[in-house]
Amino acid sequence: MAIIKGYDMPDELYYHEEHSWARVEGSRVTVGMDDMFQKEAGDIVFVDLPDEGDEVAQGEVCGKIQSRKWIGKLCAPVSGEIVETNEELEDDTSLINHDPYGEGWILVIEATDLENELGNLMHGDSLVPFIDQEIKRAEEERAKA
Amino acid sequence: MYAWRLFKDTVNPVSTALGLSIDDALPLSLSRHGSPPILHLYVFRPSAIVGKYQDIEAALRLDRCRDRGIEYNRRSTGGGTVIMGPKVVAFGLGINIDQPGLGKGIAGIFESLSAVLIRALQDLGIKAGFRPKNDIEVDGRKIAGLSATLETEKAILFHASLLVDFDIPLMLDIMNQPPLKLYDKGYSCFSQRITTIREQLGHDIDMEPVIEAIENALSQKFGVSIEEDEPDRWEKESIKDSVNKRYTNPNWIFSHKHPRSSAGMGQLKTPGGLLEIYLSLAGSTIEHIIITGDFFSTTKDINLLESALKWTSAKRENIEEHLSEIWTEDMIYGVDVPTLTEAIVRAKGNLVTT
Repeated sequence: MAIIKGYDMPDELYYHEEHSWARVEGSRVTVGMDDMFQKEAGDIVFVDLPDEGDEVAQGEVCGKIQSRKWIGKLCAPVSGEIVETNEELEDDTSLINHDPYGEGWILVIEATDLENELGNLMHGDSLVPFIDQEIKRAEEERAKA
Repeated sequence: MYAWRLFKDTVNPVSTALGLSIDDALPLSLSRHGSPPILHLYVFRPSAIVGKYQDIEAALRLDRCRDRGIEYNRRSTGGGTVIMGPKVVAFGLGINIDQPGLGKGIAGIFESLSAVLIRALQDLGIKAGFRPKNDIEVDGRKIAGLSATLETEKAILFHASLLVDFDIPLMLDIMNQPPLKLYDKGYSCFSQRITTIREQLGHDIDMEPVIEAIENALSQKFGVSIEEDEPDRWEKESIKDSVNKRYTNPNWIFSHKHPRSSAGMGQLKTPGGLLEIYLSLAGSTIEHIIITGDFFSTTKDINLLESALKWTSAKRENIEEHLSEIWTEDMIYGVDVPTLTEAIVRAKGNLVTT
């Protein structure tokens, strides 16, 4: 478990720059949104999920997430077929806020090209400069404002 | 000076299908067609527009809309139902999230774009402020609502509706607000919660000075000139496509991608008086809340409390957390955060599906 600048970013996961995470178990990849996203977005009020059986490509928008009046996107961290979606989110979207890496998981992808694609994601030490950069950008914008 | 584009439809009100389709084309034109930021200032025909993930049949009395010739549709940004018409300014902006001067992150974007409307209102002689996270208010009463969606890699559609004048009886007739069905003081309830430019100025005002004030405020905020323009051929194709495939398509308008709607009322006797809560949920989220009763408080404080809870999770711990963030002593005389939370949880305990 790693806390980077106040954000919980577990070591074992892979992260897409649009803040989706991937937990790899063989070719089965569980996907959710990271702690930085949920803290920034605030209360998640609706998740528009793809259908099981849909094919997605790495980086493709495969879902929409509404927090208050903002609608953001869920980007697939890897390519493959959607084989499961979290039905619990239909009744309680706050799971993404309360437990983003556990009960707040969003979907599972049966990955088709993990070998080539995992290298495009952030993992371990490469995450620190990314979080730093995201925080720095936010601070610069606040200073300008 | 770097020029932004302005599409203006403020003289002849547009259909919901056309207005919403032009809005959708704005971020697409930035990200796929190389356009600079585009401002779309317009007015709709009398209409009711629900948020992307709202249940339109639960939100509106569609039979009344049809009888009264009120159009209805679904927009691509979030939030609740808005009633639009010739005296409500619709403000659509396609802008890149890395545009210099635009705040970072969701909160930053809402704050910096709300500053444009606040400045415009100030130029008209109205002192307005930003009420986190999505409203602009005057003395605690909402005068404009904001919403946004990230449609492409980095271009967003930001939308705002600004009330120049507003027909509350019409709204009460066509909206199917569950709390209002339970609560019989609809008109006074809403007149205490919203205001208009006309009411603030104390006289009628044409749309043109309002539109001009918005254009000027946006230009000053970002240090750009804004030039009136028309959609080009690429944009016209995109607009036509949206009109045909989305905004005149019943599968979109009556989309079932929405959480279940439910509503309930709860009462709690407290040392400060009786608390009466009217609540409606979309799934597990508070969509509307009315806090009333025979306690002592101010309209401003009650509106602030209600606003802090709208579009947030209805879990007890979340309600308590959101109330605590804004709570000040004696906001409701003789009532504290746990007591108010308990009253809201009681309303939640009486929910029925709508």
